[in-house]
Amino acid sequence: MTKRAGPDGHRRFVRRLPVAAIVALALWALLRPGIDGAVSGFAQLLIRAYEYPKVTRLVVVDHRAEVRRADLRTDSGVPTVALTEIHFNTIVFLALCLALPRPWSRRQLERLAMGWSVLYLSQALNLLFHVKFLYASAFGAWSLQNYSTVARNVFGFLQYATDLPGRFAFPFAIWLGFNWDQVMPIVGLSPAPKASGRHSGKPGRGRRT
Amino acid sequence: MPSLRNLWRRPDARFLVLFLGILLIAFTAIALQPVNDAVVIPYTTFVARISGAVLSMLGEDITVAGCRLSSPRFAVTIYNGCNGLITSLIFASGVLAFPASWRAKAAGVVGGLLAIQVINQVRIVSLFYIGVFLPEYFDESHILIWQSLVILAGVGLWIAWARLAAAERGVAR
Repeated sequence: MTKRAGPDGHRRFVRRLPVAAIVALALWALLRPGIDGAVSGFAQLLIRAYEYPKVTRLVVVDHRAEVRRADLRTDSGVPTVALTEIHFNTIVFLALCLALPRPWSRRQLERLAMGWSVLYLSQALNLLFHVKFLYASAFGAWSLQNYSTVARNVFGFLQYATDLPGRFAFPFAIWLGFNWDQVMPIVGLSPAPKASGRHSGKPGRGRRT
Repeated sequence: MPSLRNLWRRPDARFLVLFLGILLIAFTAIALQPVNDAVVIPYTTFVARISGAVLSMLGEDITVAGCRLSSPRFAVTIYNGCNGLITSLIFASGVLAFPASWRAKAAGVVGGLLAIQVINQVRIVSLFYIGVFLPEYFDESHILIWQSLVILAGVGLWIAWARLAAAERGVAR
């Protein structure tokens, strides 16, 4: 018989959430320099993939990405984008994952890795669109010469979509997507998955996901 | 492979489609300039006024001008993203998409949005005092701690409400 989520599954989740948030914050703080470099590095790769000549360099300085172009005058100001605002949502995603039952099991760690990869992609795209919108709208006559009104609107919309809504909604949506069979029983929308061997007393067999 | 109709009959699949659809519509709507001018800015100004009133009650000499709160000791400006609106939209989308009675949904939306706004007010007031007493920690507290806490509070509230709503309609036994 399929075992249903206990009536207090949601209570356990909500109780775990504050502790999970503290662990997530500590993990993120530990990995922050690496995440800064990874997000700006991937965004730079994507920008340069469609750039001719390849002039953009994103340099991480004090948790900000400095947008350096090889064709800027040496005395020109260097625009920067705050990286913390772009990838702080990793804390939310990690906290939600760690608040689920058995967060350190192999299956949950695999899901965490897959979800984190998708979130990382969204963060790199957010930075990419920040930079492209900067190019399209903030460089005066140069922007008007090199980017059309349509391009300005498209990059503006994509920057908006991946910025506020994305930063807030993506961790939740990605967590929900990768942990569907865990979350739906918690909110009472579907039966819980069958218990694994360790809980059911049977020899240890992995759960199908 | 299940047909689309069979998939639509599954409450969890229907929830996912509705949730993402409502979220997309809501985020697109608030991106439009007329909606921004008619809803987002007045809402943010309203949030600033409430924060100003709370800080005045706490003895601060606060002046509110639009979305800006200033006192001789510190000043903060509340932007979209700091007004609790995005978290409220995610929460409301989750509530509206969930299979529950309209009464439960109405109660969830009203109660949840009020709770998120109370949490957001605590956030704004605490950030003001962090700015006064520990200004070097303002940015970290603003983004890392409070933005994360507000989103997690929204998710926690939705899970608690959804469980209650599911129990009410007899899904969870």
